[in-house]
Amino acid sequence: MTQKTEKQKESRYAKAIKIQKLSKVFHSESGSTVSALHDINLTVNSGEFITVLGATGCGKTTLLNLIAGLDIPDEGYLDLNDNLKFGMNIAYVFQHYTLFPWRTTLNNVAFALEMRGISKQERKLEAVKLLSKVGLEGFENAYTHELSGGMRQRAAIAQALAMKPKLLLMDEPFGAVDDSTRADLQRMIIQLWHENQITIIFVTHNIDEAIILGDRVLVLSERPGKIVNEFDVNLPRPRNHLTPEFTEFFMKIRQTLSGQLD
Amino acid sequence: MKQEEKKINSTDKKNSVTVILPAKHCQDGHAANFDWSKRIRSIVGIFVLLIIWQITAQYYDQPWIFPSVTRVLSQLAHPLREHYASGTLLSNTLISLLRVLLGFLFASIVGVTLGIVMGSISFIRDILEPVIELLRPLCPIAWLPFAIVIFKLKTLPQLFGINYSHTIFDQVQIGMIFVIFVGGFFPVLTNTLDGVASVRRNYLLLAKTLGASPVQIFYHVHLPAAMPMILTGLRQGLGLCWFVIIAAEMMTGSDSGIGYLLMYAADNSAMDIVIAAMLIIGAVGAMLSFLMRRVMFRFVGWKEKEI
Ligand SMILES: Nc1ncnc2c1ncn2[C@@H]1O[C@H](COP(=O)(O)OP(=O)(O)OP(=O)(O)O)[C@@H](O)[C@H]1O
Ligand SMILES: [Mg+2]
Repeated sequence: MTQKTEKQKESRYAKAIKIQKLSKVFHSESGSTVSALHDINLTVNSGEFITVLGATGCGKTTLLNLIAGLDIPDEGYLDLNDNLKFGMNIAYVFQHYTLFPWRTTLNNVAFALEMRGISKQERKLEAVKLLSKVGLEGFENAYTHELSGGMRQRAAIAQALAMKPKLLLMDEPFGAVDDSTRADLQRMIIQLWHENQITIIFVTHNIDEAIILGDRVLVLSERPGKIVNEFDVNLPRPRNHLTPEFTEFFMKIRQTLSGQLD
Repeated sequence: MKQEEKKINSTDKKNSVTVILPAKHCQDGHAANFDWSKRIRSIVGIFVLLIIWQITAQYYDQPWIFPSVTRVLSQLAHPLREHYASGTLLSNTLISLLRVLLGFLFASIVGVTLGIVMGSISFIRDILEPVIELLRPLCPIAWLPFAIVIFKLKTLPQLFGINYSHTIFDQVQIGMIFVIFVGGFFPVLTNTLDGVASVRRNYLLLAKTLGASPVQIFYHVHLPAAMPMILTGLRQGLGLCWFVIIAAEMMTGSDSGIGYLLMYAADNSAMDIVIAAMLIIGAVGAMLSFLMRRVMFRFVGWKEKEI
């Protein structure tokens, strides 16, 4: 584990994402315009775990969509490291509709491999491995509607991991699960992050979660979204909610967020 | 059923990590609670109707206007009896079915293909949609005189240069097929079109981020996502085809099919045959609908509980 952290520190020098003066405006069909993001400046290091907090509708999903290349910015500049390629190693766990309901769990997880033309046996083997990694053994043949909310999130994470991503974008992936499932999933994602050299950008509404997971917590303002503050969470992992340091971070972030509400 | 589902859902939320009841289990549970008294109640209504029918028919004793149940049943019990050299109940039913299946097959192939093309290429959709909206409201039967003039009474074997094949296919006129095609084509087309065009954008984006090419997105997202709508279109289309063939066979110019036999028997005051033919038409229609439902469930069971 100490070896791993050293490796991570090394790769910190490489920049995964560089964003400057990024803005996004939506034009609705009724003619009104919504400024979703305004003047975002952000540099993400390789192997870094970034968590993003912000009120609903402040542009978090929009930010991830822009990074994933699913939308184009109106202004500014977004640069990805050369080793990051759309459809190859940038995985994205969506906020909604994360699995294809007409596919079994196994075939959902194997989707990316199937698209790459990998043989049926090989992708099955790989998908089974991933499913056991996220704790879904025995649900290979279940359809989406036969899975609980937490299981769907696990399956969606396995589906994303099948790409062998270097960059993993996650949009409130643990939004709809109970607290103990959430804690399980958090442990799981930290372990996966430790095992693989992945850069993660993780959107959440939960301050606790942001501090537990992130190397760095970004707080976005209300619409139009701007980065109002960032916090380097230099606490050792696994992190404990009950330490005074944790509480201090919590209070500071909470103040920043509620300052936004006034 | 609704309540049962809810109950299962709420339990699986609590146990989200450990236990989940697979959907199969729910179905079995449902079958175990099979309600016999309900089944019997649903038969009682039909039984009473038959008894009233039988008593009334016997009371008036005018079988050429209102035949008794037993007379109709005896016709149904002898499906191979020749009627006025127009063939039997069975042979005419088979002729009608064959016509419908051929016309429907043709309508499905063209309808699904065109629906997929129009649903995914908006340029083609813009050109064809007005034409289709213009023709769609027209009752398929209205096409019959036109079809007869165009195709005369040409049969399917004649289309392939065989004048008389001495098979049931000699009863399959191109004009009939055309009218059935028109009947089945529009529901198949419009449903397919809607299905393909209204695929959730999220699924397209998901496939894209997972590395699918446009062609792969078409095969692995558009098509399966549209499958429930396509099958709905096919089911509606087949039902309509069966309506259309009966009506078409009742028109002048027709000389076979269950609709023809019904009309011919009516002209000869053989109401027992008329009612037997009606029952057959209803039963076949119900059977076709049932089969299509089974196919649908088999292929798009996932749709039932889409999240
Ligand atoms: N495709 C779109 N067309 C028009 N407006 C949009 C579109 N996508 C997002 N918006 C608007 O942009 C703003 C930011 O949306 P976004 O989905 O990024 O918010 P969010 O921070 O992810 O919210 P939540 O926490 O509720 O998921 C919202 O006001 C939304 O209405
Ligand atoms: Mg969002």
